[in-house]
Amino acid sequence: MEDKIKNLKENANRILNEITSTQELEKLRVEYLGKKGEIVELLKGLKDIDKEKRKKIGESANKLRDYINEKIEKKKIELKEKEYELKINSTKHVDLTVPININVGSLHPITIVQKELEDIFTSMGFTVEDGNEVETEYNNFEAVNVPKFHPARDMQDTFWLENGQLLKTQTSAAQNKIMRKYGAPLKAIFPGRCFRNEALDASHENTFFQMEGMMIDENVSISNLIYFMKSLLSEIFKKDVTVRLRPGFFPFVEPGFELDIKCPYCDGVGCKVCKHGGWIELCPCGMIHPNVLKMGEIDPNKYSGFAFGLGLSRLAMMKFGIDDLRLLNGGNLKVLKQMRIK
Amino acid sequence: MYISINWIKDFVDLDGIDIENLIYNFTMSTAEVESITKYGYDTSNVVVGRIESISSIDNSDKLRKVIVDIKDEKVQSICGAKNIKIGDKIPFAKCGSKVKGIQIQKSILNGIESNGVCLSEKELGIGLDHSGVMILDNNLEIGKDIKEIIPLEDIVFEVDNKSLTNRPDLWGHYGIAREIAAITKRELKPLEVENLDKYTSLPKLDISVENKDECYRYTGITVENISKTVSPYKMKVRLFYTGSRSINLLADITNYIMLELGQPMHAFDKRYVDGIEVKALTSNSDFITLDNVTRQLPKGTLMIRNKKEPIAIAGIMGGLNSSITKDTNSLFLESATFDSTLIRKTALKIAHRTDASARYEKALDPELARLATARFIKILKDNDSNVKVTSCFTDIYLKKYPKITINTTKEFFDKYIGIDIDINTIIQTLTNLKFTVKRDNNNLEVEVPSFRATKDISNKADLVEEVARIYGYDNIEPKSNYWKVEPLKDDEDRKLEYDIKEMLALKYGLSEIHSYVWYSEEKNKSLNINVNDNLKIVNGLNKADSTLRENMAPTMLYYINDNLKYLPDCNIFEIGRTFKYNFDNKNCIENKVLAIGLSSIKGDIKDLLYKAKSIVESIFYVYKNVNVKYIQTDLTSKYSWTNKVNSYVLKVDDTTLGYIAQIHPRITDNINKKSNIVVIELLVDKLNNIKKKNITYNKVTKYQTVDFDLSILVDENIKFEDIENIITKLNLPYLLEYTLIDIYHDKNKFLDKKSVTIRFNIGSYDKTLLKDEIDKHMNSLINAFKRSGMDINM
Repeated sequence: MEDKIKNLKENANRILNEITSTQELEKLRVEYLGKKGEIVELLKGLKDIDKEKRKKIGESANKLRDYINEKIEKKKIELKEKEYELKINSTKHVDLTVPININVGSLHPITIVQKELEDIFTSMGFTVEDGNEVETEYNNFEAVNVPKFHPARDMQDTFWLENGQLLKTQTSAAQNKIMRKYGAPLKAIFPGRCFRNEALDASHENTFFQMEGMMIDENVSISNLIYFMKSLLSEIFKKDVTVRLRPGFFPFVEPGFELDIKCPYCDGVGCKVCKHGGWIELCPCGMIHPNVLKMGEIDPNKYSGFAFGLGLSRLAMMKFGIDDLRLLNGGNLKVLKQMRIK
Repeated sequence: MYISINWIKDFVDLDGIDIENLIYNFTMSTAEVESITKYGYDTSNVVVGRIESISSIDNSDKLRKVIVDIKDEKVQSICGAKNIKIGDKIPFAKCGSKVKGIQIQKSILNGIESNGVCLSEKELGIGLDHSGVMILDNNLEIGKDIKEIIPLEDIVFEVDNKSLTNRPDLWGHYGIAREIAAITKRELKPLEVENLDKYTSLPKLDISVENKDECYRYTGITVENISKTVSPYKMKVRLFYTGSRSINLLADITNYIMLELGQPMHAFDKRYVDGIEVKALTSNSDFITLDNVTRQLPKGTLMIRNKKEPIAIAGIMGGLNSSITKDTNSLFLESATFDSTLIRKTALKIAHRTDASARYEKALDPELARLATARFIKILKDNDSNVKVTSCFTDIYLKKYPKITINTTKEFFDKYIGIDIDINTIIQTLTNLKFTVKRDNNNLEVEVPSFRATKDISNKADLVEEVARIYGYDNIEPKSNYWKVEPLKDDEDRKLEYDIKEMLALKYGLSEIHSYVWYSEEKNKSLNINVNDNLKIVNGLNKADSTLRENMAPTMLYYINDNLKYLPDCNIFEIGRTFKYNFDNKNCIENKVLAIGLSSIKGDIKDLLYKAKSIVESIFYVYKNVNVKYIQTDLTSKYSWTNKVNSYVLKVDDTTLGYIAQIHPRITDNINKKSNIVVIELLVDKLNNIKKKNITYNKVTKYQTVDFDLSILVDENIKFEDIENIITKLNLPYLLEYTLIDIYHDKNKFLDKKSVTIRFNIGSYDKTLLKDEIDKHMNSLINAFKRSGMDINM
């Protein structure tokens, strides 16, 4: 009996060494460990042997079963590994250095900049309002302190429409409506398309985007305006910017300012963006004229406020290094596709 | 406007002040300076020369040899000018001198040595005359440096006119000097003027004003015995450096005073002025202005007339008939103030804006009229000592601007500026700017000077600007306010717009464009797009681009056309405005529209339309959770660019939101014969108005369900929607879901039919269905299709 066990062990080892597939391995398992396998057969023969021997051989037979089982499991893993290796060796290689089309479109540069600004403003508690493109003469001019035949109308060449209305020349056209809608205190921005009757060139467009903002409350001062504009512009340019104010005339503010920033691209040393002047004229602003507040039904004795305009087209050009304003309305996908989404 | 520093120095002592720094401060405190030009600094060693001899040279008709005496030597020069004669004094640039940066060197002309140049006005940089050599006054000393005679050196800065729109007082050097005095805290010197009171006893002039509302003040004075016609060098150079040019002494002085005080004046030849009447034209008339242009003047134009005829357009330009000529020896001097709005209207109407009208329209101070006359007489007498004033200063002063007094407080300044500002600084600054300030503790009573009281300064905020700008905005410390903090309402509509834009770009690969809001007539023509008449721009630079768009599709097509020239496909979108004009009541309704254009040269129209549908579904499904109905409609009469076979109106419930349409071959053929184009127009406001449907969870059955496919043979023109109607009408209790698997066309097999395969999912939420129940469902479906004439393809 013991010889038989020894033989079985040797045979199993021999077969295991020759096996190359899981099917053969399964066959071996059935042959030795199955219900009618060699080990079972062997154990069946035990009943003819005397008790003492039976115990000893029984132990050996069980040991053999465990041994073969273990060997089979080991072989199984070994075979799996071989299989994987084969698969790996036959895997199709894909060249990821090949360019692919991600088929992502693009947002317009103005949209990208506008969204960025709107997010900054809404985080500061500003309401965002839309204005019309066709406006009344009253809203575009009279309500912002530019009466008929005021020379300030020369500052903006207007597209007049046959019904006496006009294409708005400035986002300020929405000021009056917004003041009436919300009253004071008020924090609002109103981006929009504006139009000027001008011949096109690299820096002049008849259709462009502005964003205007107003902040009205008690005790709003010039000092607040400077602080606010500085914080805002630092947020926009993602760095601490230096601003300077100089007098500027806009009929709807008093005093009115031109706000310059020290060129954030060259820190004021002089570069292409600032036309080597070190400063960039960025945004007209000022304290809202008492007349404008009055026309918007806000009491100028109780409230004061400031207003500012940001040239969205201008900011978009700066952000993306666009040197020709006409590209923005040019609709050339070879240009616009470069802007992607963010 | 150009400002000469030399001129400013007449009124403010600028000794020890860095000029460039001063100009910077002017920008920071008053108005934007656009440019700075230095004149004359690059010219040196030009001297007065005397022509000693002139002789012709061989082989040249034009050039002559001249010998010029420049005191220390006699220099030979080859000169082409014809106007010189022996004895003339001329500006001479000898070898080694510099003229506008150019070093003068010895040269050889026609084989003869030339050792210097006789200069023209233009070469010297003080005029435009290049017709000959500049002939100097004969009494000048030979050899003297020209700079001792002509003030060549000056610094001139240009102020942005737009930033002076509200400052009529700054349209002359004296006003600018007043600012500079305040900025530098130096004294402003008084203007040297003639005392007009001397002439009170002289006869009064015959002046009458009919249009009393339009003429604030009209003054006149007459002067006789005028003998000089040429202006002094200083005046000529200043006029030239500040953008004017010398004409004759009388005209030059009027221009000089306009540039000095901002007050336009007009010098008439007295022989044509037997009296003055200021009166509007009673009918349309032609009038020849002094620049010899015949202008058509409409009825109502305010004119200056003598007893017989008009002699000037009030506030704009004088007439040729009464202008100063070479033999003028007596003059009638007008110094007047006209209504700013009137002058602006007239200048716009007759399309002739002049330096005078530009000043009048800013609302000039009528007080200037007398001052300007006094200044004129002084300057004229300084240059032509024999002149005789022959009338009194005749003054018709009809309208005055009210005196403005503003009561304010130090506290108001502090509050408005946001800093604690010393009351003495406030008072001193206002006083330097010629305001009169009375103080009572912290209360201030401020009287506005007449030259700031016409339109510019009227309230407390205006005074804040005066003080703050001179104080320096840079010196104001930035401080935060205590803003009230309130949560902001979510702006759903705005968010939706951005979300849609991002989805179109990210999921569908579309690019956002910006278009113009008007149609291009030229593009409509070349692409064969017909549009309805709509609201028009009346004054556009290009008349062909004047109709506002009623739809976005045409403008989308312009961009598709451009891009398909070099790209195989072009998928774009824009959220823009369209305009619907009602010609009867002249109302214009503005709509916000999302327009999408899908186009491809190789692609199949089905793919484009499916993509379009997918976009629409995504928008409505993702953001509103509602179903869209696609109603095939012939839109050609409304939107001529659509192809009626594939035009669908989009509806949610009963609201029409827009349309999807293939583009008409009339247009696509013009863009690219192989191209297919689809457009979508969606009304954004209506989209926003759709209520978002809540998403409610649908149970998923725990029991086993069964799928079976039916292939239904239907006519080609049957829509999927028709098949769906049959299924839904059956109201099958255990039909959980059905899905379109395939639509199969096979001419050989099905002739003019198509096979539509639908997978039906049958099941119950309560039990596992028996075979009978399933078969019953299948049979009712099959029977229903058959009843509708649809075969089942087994």
